[in-house]
Amino acid sequence: MKFLLAIGSKDFSGDTLHIGSQIALAFSAHLSIVYVGSKPKDLYLNRVKQAQENLEKWEIYHPGIDVLKWAFNKLKDTGFIKSKNSNDFNPANILESSGRYKMILPSTYGQKIDLILREGDLIEELRSEFFKEKYSIGIIGGSKDRNRSKDILQFLPSSIFITNNFKIGKKYKILLCVDDSKATKNAVKFAIIIAKKLNLDVTLITVSKIKTFKDGYKNAVKNAVKILKKEKINFTQEFVFGDPVSSFVKYANDDHIIIMGDSSKTILRKFLFGSKSLATLKKANSPILIVRNE
Amino acid sequence: MLVNIIYWLKQKQWLVVTFFLSLILYVLPTPDGLEISGYRVIIIVILFILLILFEPIPLPATAMLIIVLQVLFGIGSANDVASTFMSDSVFFIMGSLMLATAIISQGLDTRLALAIINITGHKTWKISFGFILFCALLSSFIGEHTVTAMMMPVGLTLIRNTILEGDKNKKLSALLLFSIAYGSAIGSIGTPSGGGRNVIMIGYLEQFGVAEITYLTWMKYAYPILLIQIPITAIILWRTFFPEKLILDSAVRKLKIQVAHSGKLSNQQILSILIFISIFFGWVFFSSTLGLGMISLIGVITYLSFGLIDWREINKNTNWGLIMLFGAAISVGVQMKETGAALWIANNFLNFVDNIFINTQFSHSIISIIITSSLTNILSNAATIAVLGPIIINISGDSIVLPMITALSSAFGFLTIVASPSYMIIYSSGLLKSSDFIRGGWKMMGTSILLLIIFSNFIWPLFF
Repeated sequence: MKFLLAIGSKDFSGDTLHIGSQIALAFSAHLSIVYVGSKPKDLYLNRVKQAQENLEKWEIYHPGIDVLKWAFNKLKDTGFIKSKNSNDFNPANILESSGRYKMILPSTYGQKIDLILREGDLIEELRSEFFKEKYSIGIIGGSKDRNRSKDILQFLPSSIFITNNFKIGKKYKILLCVDDSKATKNAVKFAIIIAKKLNLDVTLITVSKIKTFKDGYKNAVKNAVKILKKEKINFTQEFVFGDPVSSFVKYANDDHIIIMGDSSKTILRKFLFGSKSLATLKKANSPILIVRNE
Repeated sequence: MLVNIIYWLKQKQWLVVTFFLSLILYVLPTPDGLEISGYRVIIIVILFILLILFEPIPLPATAMLIIVLQVLFGIGSANDVASTFMSDSVFFIMGSLMLATAIISQGLDTRLALAIINITGHKTWKISFGFILFCALLSSFIGEHTVTAMMMPVGLTLIRNTILEGDKNKKLSALLLFSIAYGSAIGSIGTPSGGGRNVIMIGYLEQFGVAEITYLTWMKYAYPILLIQIPITAIILWRTFFPEKLILDSAVRKLKIQVAHSGKLSNQQILSILIFISIFFGWVFFSSTLGLGMISLIGVITYLSFGLIDWREINKNTNWGLIMLFGAAISVGVQMKETGAALWIANNFLNFVDNIFINTQFSHSIISIIITSSLTNILSNAATIAVLGPIIINISGDSIVLPMITALSSAFGFLTIVASPSYMIIYSSGLLKSSDFIRGGWKMMGTSILLLIIFSNFIWPLFF
C-alpha cells in the first residue's frame, strides 16, 4: 500500500505529519510526504526559476525543501525513519522529472518513505501525484476553506483522511459510521486496522432517517460487530433516528476520528447534489477518514 | 472518466467563460462609430486580458490564439498579421531576457554584496537604504528582475544569518526583501532599458508616427522622479516594517566571510561588465538609428562570441512563450490603431471624462495614472502597456506627456505579486505573505502617483 501525506508548513503540519505517519505504520504502508508550493504565473516562471537557481549557488534552497527537511527530521525523531546519520538530508540532492522534485535520501534506502516537492495548484498537483503513484489513502490537513476539502474528496481518486483539528497527545476514539453503502465494508476494515495498531476504542454508529432500520443497515452492523468482536476491539454501539450528518458530527464532537464509507452516488450526482460523506466532511470538527469502495 | 471531465470544466472555467463571452460579443451588433474589424480587435483584447489574468491555457497558446484570431476574424491577412508580430520592442524583450541570463550567470552578486555592505556597514536602516539605492540605480539600466535575482541571495543570506541568531524576524525579512523589490521597481522607470514596457511604449510612439524618444530624452523625464523616490521608499518601508533588529553586526560579518573567498574580479567578470557598459553607450548614442532591441541583440551576440555564456544556458532561461505573447500583444496593439478601435475607445473616454471634469488635461493625466497603476496590479506592467498604449496615444494626440505618464505609472503596481517579476521573485522566498504587499504597497502607490502628478503637471512643463 502507498499513502500520500500532504504538508504545507512547519507551523501547521506537525499534527498531520504525526497522525499520518502513525496510520501509515498501522498499515505498513509506503509513505510519500508531498509539499505543494505556489507556482509563479507563467508570465514570470522562467525569471523566478532563474533567481532560484542563482540562490542555490549561495546554498539557499526552495522554501519547500526546508519544510521537507523539517518533516524528515520529525519522522526521524518519532522513529518512522531509521537513520543513525545525523546529517543525511542534503538539500542539493534532488531529482527533477516533469516538474516533480524528489529528494534523494541515501540513508533511507529500503525504507518506505519518499519526500516530494511540487509547485502549482494543490488539487491539480495532488491529482498528478495520485495518477503517478496510485496511492490508497491521501492524508491532508484541515483547512478553513471547507470547499478545499470538498474538492479533495471529489477529485482525488482514493480514500481521504482529513486531519481536521487533530492534536498530538489527545485521547481519541473512532466513530465508525455504518450504513448500507458499498464502501462501509472497507471502512470497517480500515477502522479495525487503525483501532488495533493505535489502540483506540470504537463507537459504532448507525443513523436512520426513518423510524426503522432497513435490512441493509442491520446486515452491515451485524458484519461490523462480528469482526470487531473477533479482533477483540473495545466498542460501543449507537442507533440513532434522525439526520445522519448532524448525528455523526454531534457524536464525533472533537475527540473522535470519524471513519465512514464514501457515498455510492455517481460523481455527477455528488457534484450537483452533494452526499452524506461530503456534508459530514464539511461540518466535522474532528479528523475524518472517508473510505472508498475500491 | 466523468470525474476528469467535471474536473477539467472546473479548472478551465475561465476558458469556458472567455469562450462564451467572446462568442456573445461576436454575434452582438457592432457599436456605432466603429468598423467591424475594430470591434473584433476589441473582442480579441478582452479575450487577451482574461487569458493573461486567469491563465487557463499556457501563455504560448494564448499568444498563438491571438495571432490566429486576427486572421480568422478577417482583421488582416496572414502575412499582414505576421509582419506586425515582430518589432524592435519584441527584439528588446528577447534581448533583455537573454542579457539578464548572461549577467546573472557571471557571479557578480558576491562582488555586489561586498560593495554594498562595505558602504552601508551593519546598521539595518543603512542596509535597507543601500539596497534600495543600489537596486534602483542598477535596475534603471539592466532591468528590474536581473537586479532582484542578483540581490536576493544577499538579502536572504543576511536574513538567514539573523534568523539563526534567534527568532523569526518577520519584519526584518519583509524590510530587506521589499527594499530589493521596490528598489528595483522604482528604478525600472529611469531609462528605456529599465523595463520592456518602456520600450513597448517607445515602439508604439514611433510606429504611430507621434514621436521618436531617445534614451536620454526618456532619462530627462524619468530619472529625477526615480531619484526622489529612493528616500521616500526607504522611509515608507522603514515605517511599515520597523525591524526587530536595528543592527545586523553578526549577520553582516558572516556575509563578509562568505563572500570574501570570491577574491578579485576575474577577467571574465571584467569583460562582461565592459560589454554591458558598451551596450549602455550603444543605447544612449545609437538607439535612434539602430533601435534599442538591435543593440540588446548585439550585446547578446558579443556575450556568446566571447564565450561568457553558453547558448544552452540562454535557451533554458529564456521564456520563448513570453516573447511570443508580447509579439502577439503588440500586434493587436498595432491593429487597434489600424482599425480605429483605439481611436474609438479614446473618443468615448474623452467624451465621458470631459463631461465630468473641468480641467481636462489634468484629469486625463490623473485618470490614466490610476487606470494604468490599477491594471498593472492585476495584469502585469508590460501587458498593461501593450494593451493601453495605443489608446493613450490616441487620447494624447501629438503630445508625449500622457504616454510617458502611462509608461511610468505602470511601475506603480506595488500591491500584488503579479504586478512585476521582482515581486514574484521575493514572494517565492516563502518569507512573505501576499498581504505584506498591501501593507507597504498602498503607501508606495499613493506617493508615487502623487509624485508623478506633480512632475507631469508642474515640473515637466517648465523644462519641456
